[in-house]
Amino acid sequence: MTGTGNYSGPPPEGVVGEFHAVPRVRNTPTSNLSVAEAAAVRRVGLSPAGFVMGSAVMQLASAITGNIYGGGGFGGAMGLGGGMFSGYISGARSQGLYAESYPCVHGFGFGANADHYGFNVENAVLADSIFEGYRLALARLRDEAIEVGAHGVIGVEVGFENMIGSLGTATFLATGTAVSHRDSAPLHPPFLTNASGQNFERLIGLGYVAAGLAVGVGVVHVQPNCLARGNLTAVGPNRQIPAAVGAARGRARQRLAGTGHRMGEGVVHTEWSDRRFVRYGESWNQLALAVGTAVRRYTTELEPPIPQPVVSLRP
Amino acid sequence: MTPPPESPTGAGSQRAPDIAEALDALRAPFHSEGGATFLSDLTVGELILLEQIGFRPVEIVSGSGSASWYPQFTTAGPEGQMWGSAIASAIAEARAGIYSEVTQFGANGVVAMRIEFEREPANQLTCTMLGTAVRDERHDGSISTKSPGPRGHDRTQLFTTNLSARDFHLLTRAGYGAAGIVMGVSVVGFGARSAAQSLGLARENFELEGQTNALYSAREQAMGMMEREAASLGADGVVSVNLSERPINTMLTHAVELVAIGTAVRRGAGRHRSLDPHLQLALNDPAPETFVSG
Repeated sequence: MTGTGNYSGPPPEGVVGEFHAVPRVRNTPTSNLSVAEAAAVRRVGLSPAGFVMGSAVMQLASAITGNIYGGGGFGGAMGLGGGMFSGYISGARSQGLYAESYPCVHGFGFGANADHYGFNVENAVLADSIFEGYRLALARLRDEAIEVGAHGVIGVEVGFENMIGSLGTATFLATGTAVSHRDSAPLHPPFLTNASGQNFERLIGLGYVAAGLAVGVGVVHVQPNCLARGNLTAVGPNRQIPAAVGAARGRARQRLAGTGHRMGEGVVHTEWSDRRFVRYGESWNQLALAVGTAVRRYTTELEPPIPQPVVSLRP
Repeated sequence: MTPPPESPTGAGSQRAPDIAEALDALRAPFHSEGGATFLSDLTVGELILLEQIGFRPVEIVSGSGSASWYPQFTTAGPEGQMWGSAIASAIAEARAGIYSEVTQFGANGVVAMRIEFEREPANQLTCTMLGTAVRDERHDGSISTKSPGPRGHDRTQLFTTNLSARDFHLLTRAGYGAAGIVMGVSVVGFGARSAAQSLGLARENFELEGQTNALYSAREQAMGMMEREAASLGADGVVSVNLSERPINTMLTHAVELVAIGTAVRRGAGRHRSLDPHLQLALNDPAPETFVSG
């Protein structure tokens, strides 16, 4: 799954590839739910079955190596002073990816001073690497839930971090508490949700059930032109940075909807983050990341409760 | 107002929720009936609060704007205005992007908007906004229930707010509506300190009146701009105002930058409705402090 950035399928179901984790040999039920969360889960008829985890350590593919977009790549664009720049933009566009050039506002062209020239281009290679890390971690989390006979996993926390001292790698980690329903057959696959136990209870009370986690990732490489990099001789509104943020968010939203659409009517509880990731000098990768719970309506006969305003007397 | 139910699950309905029925719904493959998937960054609790007052999530919408200004050497008059105008234009562009997406998705407004600022290198600022667009499905005529079309939308019918879903719920129940995000920006310069003061060699304590006055002046100008924006929306007031001030006193630049952002609100057709909150005495003890520093 590399290159195009157009993957929009759901995370996989069941066992993942050839990978075999260290086998689980513990039998004591464990949980990372708080007491209040566990009580909420029990009120809807589920009980904790075990703490489960899924992880994957990924080598993130680098766009600098020039392995994408018609052979131009970032290396080509930078190393030749922008000489392959136009081919690079068109190569990205031909793959349906977002790409825009931002000429120097002083009027310098490629040859005169490529340093002033800017561009945004979607970095589908990095986006796919991150998406794949999430996919593997979540699938392995689900596999562990299946192992303990669970119907679902509640309170899933998923994220990634750079491994210290290991440039270009990321550790993806997903954790949560598997829950089961005593009076019904196991679900294949079990549901996943990042909602807490209390929010899961509210969801069921509203007539929805969590179907799975939807993930959206969007990355745009930003090589800022003179205006966007804060050149003191050029000021005013710049479109390059907002366009990069918008394109990264748009792609993340598209993927979130794509994965969510196959599981339910909507996605709630989306944890959204924007970051500037992997900086190269003045350029950076604008990353938009979204993880939410896809929900499916199981009945329309339940009305939302009317909350009562209260004033707490506790200091 | 109806008294609250005892249980939070299924409290407003005749029947109780059934987990077995919910799990059975997951056993069959899901087939979308052609409708668009709604996206929301609201928690389930917030979703309930919105559904209860007749709003449904449509899409996560975003907007962003960025602008730079010349370095300041005097911060007098035009330079200060340019600095403030640049920040205002970045915010305005982000807000315009939000309105554009709300219109595109046929929604009525945005709740719980996150507004963030990123200071770029040199004199540059990027403003980003993100929130959940909602459609008003109330049928009491308090706000138009018609879905706005993709074109020719009357912008005064759209709303944006930085209020949380909880506060928006309370605002609506109290008989008000959000009119829109409003902002005010001001940059006011002040005189440089003496060389001795700058080097930390002052012999006396005294107030830097020029700086104090600049702060007051910036506050008045920013709040005035925000009030004018609110008035243009026909609002009765502004709530949830977030005021951030940033004094800069470097060798060449002496100014205070002030940004005010809030939600303009309009009273509905009826009068203010009291929420009549109940007093609540929690019986659980506060969590003990296990570790005390020092």
